Amino acid sequence: MGKSDHITIQAILAGDKDAYRELVAQNSRSVFRLAYRITGNEADAEDVVQEAFLRGYRKLDRFESRASFSTWIYRIAVRCAFDRIGGRHMDSPGPVGSNSDAALEASQVVDRLPDPEPLMLSGEIGAIRELAMRTLTPMERVAFTLRHMEDCSLQEIALALDIDPNAAKQAIYRAVHKLPQRLAPLKVKA
Amino acid sequence: MKHLTEPELIEQYYGEDDFNAAQHLEWCRECAEAYAALQVDFAEFDSVAPPERTASYEEQVWTRIAPLLPAYPVKKRLTVARGLWLAFGSATACAVLIAAGFYAGRTREHQQPPRTAEVNVPSPPPARVIVLLSDHLDRSERLLVELKHARSDDPQTFPPLREEAGNLLRSNSKWRQEAEKSDDPDMVLVLSNLNDLLSQLANEQGGLNPAAIANLQKKMKANGLLLDVRVLRSRLPNQRTSPANLKGGAA
Repeated sequence: MGKSDHITIQAILAGDKDAYRELVAQNSRSVFRLAYRITGNEADAEDVVQEAFLRGYRKLDRFESRASFSTWIYRIAVRCAFDRIGGRHMDSPGPVGSNSDAALEASQVVDRLPDPEPLMLSGEIGAIRELAMRTLTPMERVAFTLRHMEDCSLQEIALALDIDPNAAKQAIYRAVHKLPQRLAPLKVKA
Repeated sequence: MKHLTEPELIEQYYGEDDFNAAQHLEWCRECAEAYAALQVDFAEFDSVAPPERTASYEEQVWTRIAPLLPAYPVKKRLTVARGLWLAFGSATACAVLIAAGFYAGRTREHQQPPRTAEVNVPSPPPARVIVLLSDHLDRSERLLVELKHARSDDPQTFPPLREEAGNLLRSNSKWRQEAEKSDDPDMVLVLSNLNDLLSQLANEQGGLNPAAIANLQKKMKANGLLLDVRVLRSRLPNQRTSPANLKGGAA
């Protein structure tokens, strides 16, 4: 981790709350980008940014100095975004092997996102893509986003989601299998 | 003929494939077409560009969360109280052990003939090192505070700053070397930054002038040196094991 980050964290833990501002400033944009890609809309992404930094602050005394703060807050943001799109209540990471296809198929995304109708009517490629992404389970959506858009390795995805790397791999396979199928009819409708 | 499966095509796309898959795609038209279709589908998801944030976005995030953050309790007070108890407990335990050892030794002395033996004397505790390093950081902190408040329209204050910087520069170089030996990266970083600043302060071409002071103040503020020195200083009494690795005094 950056040595200055380490010193900043020590200052925060010694009671200097304002020192956290520096870490927020360094990481807020990248956390927003990640959150937006996972949640698919600005309002939820902003909530994820706020929640991630609040959680990060509360857990700072458990932060291991071996890690980089940016990696650490990134993982927290992944978890927050996962929870935000319904992951906590749906296919939250369980024991290895618990993510069977049937279980995941049964647990489709809880649609906490805005009404899809305006998206559909807009006919834009971004909207079509977003509608296709909504057909994925939270686990599939996060794993695919991290792998495809954030260029994370399977190991990093597994760590961020607290699952086995093989489970992460399977979630990506399922997402890739579903997305083209969902995308094609939406394109026709648009 | 065995074609590539969808997972194998995905692995190929993400560069996790084995050599055989890549070779297979070169000569199998069916798989190459499936792979091309996969690439087209993936391309739909390549360009998810999040909306731009304003220039003051970082500040906005901080403004939103700052009121929700409770300050961590100041550790110094807790540590002092705890340290007193620990010191008291340790002293009591040592006294008991010494008394028991003395009594056992006396008893054994009477039972056995006297003999000479080599004793490994443990290295003395590094209290002196801690005191010297604390003193160095205290002086550095004072200098930085003076520099921070130095007024460009009061050049009389410049020569003492320069002189003290020169004094501190010599000892700082030695402490930095010791920190490098003891593998303490935080200490090395802060002392290196301090070294740069002291060096400029002490060796400014043509002496210190208002512009040079303003420049150094700006630099000190930018890298948060004063805070770093304070953090290191506050760390010393709590982490006696860390400076213990420092060999010998350097002041």
